[in-house]
Amino acid sequence: MIKIEKPGTIQNERPLIEFRGVSKTYPSGNTHALEDVNIRIFPGEFVFVVGASGAGKSTFLKLIMREEKANSGEIYANGYKLTTLPRKKVPLYRRTMGIVFQDFRLIPNMDVFDNVAFAMHVVGADKSAIRREVPKVLNLVGLQHRARALPHQLSGGEQQRVGLARALVNRPKIIVADEPTGNVDPNMSYEIVELLDRINRAGTTILMVTHEHNLVRDFHHRVIMLENGRIVADNAEGI
Amino acid sequence: MRKSFGYLTKEGFKNIWANRLMSLASIGVLVACMAIIGIAMILTSNLNVAMSTIEKENVVMAYMNDKNSVLYPIDGSAPPTDKNVPDSAYKVHNEEEAKKVCESIGKLGDVEKVEYVSAEQALENYKKNYVNGDSQYLVYFEGEDNPMPMGAKITLKSLDNFSAVVKQIEAVDGVNLVVSSKVIASTLIKIRNAVETAGLSIIIVLMIISLVIVSNTIRVTMYNRKLEISIMKAVGATDWFIRWPFLIEGVILGIISAVISLGFTYGIYYFAAGKIKDAIGTGSLIAFRKLALPIFGVFVAIGVLAGIIGSIIILSKYLKKEGSEFRAI
Repeated sequence: MIKIEKPGTIQNERPLIEFRGVSKTYPSGNTHALEDVNIRIFPGEFVFVVGASGAGKSTFLKLIMREEKANSGEIYANGYKLTTLPRKKVPLYRRTMGIVFQDFRLIPNMDVFDNVAFAMHVVGADKSAIRREVPKVLNLVGLQHRARALPHQLSGGEQQRVGLARALVNRPKIIVADEPTGNVDPNMSYEIVELLDRINRAGTTILMVTHEHNLVRDFHHRVIMLENGRIVADNAEGI
Repeated sequence: MRKSFGYLTKEGFKNIWANRLMSLASIGVLVACMAIIGIAMILTSNLNVAMSTIEKENVVMAYMNDKNSVLYPIDGSAPPTDKNVPDSAYKVHNEEEAKKVCESIGKLGDVEKVEYVSAEQALENYKKNYVNGDSQYLVYFEGEDNPMPMGAKITLKSLDNFSAVVKQIEAVDGVNLVVSSKVIASTLIKIRNAVETAGLSIIIVLMIISLVIVSNTIRVTMYNRKLEISIMKAVGATDWFIRWPFLIEGVILGIISAVISLGFTYGIYYFAAGKIKDAIGTGSLIAFRKLALPIFGVFVAIGVLAGIIGSIIILSKYLKKEGSEFRAI
């Protein structure tokens, strides 16, 4: 395995996400979805996770989102120990991260503003905070003029930017993006990653699962490669 | 949570509107259930009132085994030819002994009150109740010739153990005979018990139906909103935050149904009471306004409980699932 040496990363800082000897098997399958994964992601990093389908990418994400629990090993994320985190505390943990989905997951009968505001309602934000924060974040993703549009009136790229705005609005420490460009035109894909790049430069950690090699190639960030549930490469400088 | 209360309540109303056909159907079924429950309650209340009236009037007469009971047998057997009956032939010889018998009767469990009735008093009562205005014929029975036995006027606590109590009184030493309207009492008890059992089982069955209906409506809403719920879970909504709009939805359905049902029940009662009065000319039915509050209370309780239990049952099953699993249901 290649040592992580990202310039600008303070190595004695505590990692934001840490996997220690993590293995995961699903009850239905005999093979390991993940096997003995050790990894540390530090604050401010931009990390691509790549691998063929079935390599363990989505299990990796599910473990981070605490949708699944590891069978062995320990996972720490955003100050929580996920392997022993009680179910009741999972919502509080999830509020420390923003999740971007491949299929956008926008609520069809809610306009752009309300889709973003929805995430603030869920964490119990009051109206004045919602009125203040939502336009800011829409401005950041360049959709302030489409606040009253419904999702189906937007292009794929625009919809994903709404998804990104929703993930950002509660000011998470880390954005977890699961193939965010998977349902977006190739030229729009660049826009999305550029946007993520900008957010990253402003200090938010980004973890992006993708299988689009040209994106990984063009944006020089750390790349973690998974194969058959194991980490086979971890390049600080990209590929 | 307090900050979100308004938002979540609004979401609950939205659920009902978004799912209005199903909401309407469940309100319909709930109203039908509640109206039947209401009618069962009205029937039981009216019957109970009738019963307690009868119970209050339900007096059992016990007659003593005294000299007169031997001289003038009540069972119609031939009286003794010799008027000089020995003291040993009967058990109650004077007023004091009669009062002692009354005391022993009073100690029985289901006896509310015992009143000693002297032979003279018994004759007076007899004159009043049975001979209407022709009491002058009874002057010959006064004084020494009074044929009435000493007695006890016994009021029972309830009709429930009627036959058993009567047997207990009959067994008291010194009691010759107990006179009661046994048939009426036992019939009334049977009717009341039947109505109460039927009413209770109807209410239980219909409450279960109400619960199933509300749960099902909430399930449909939940399916319609599973995308939202999966996002809610992903952005860190607590289980209660997700549950709340569904709970509100269930409770609102319950309350709307309760209001409509009260109107329905009133209409049915008004119509039925009119028919009953026409038929038997009695005005002893309970006024609806006296029943309205408890009935409405029961309706709201059913509605609210069905809403709360329904939403908790349905959601608890699904809230264990994670966002991505939620998308797949």
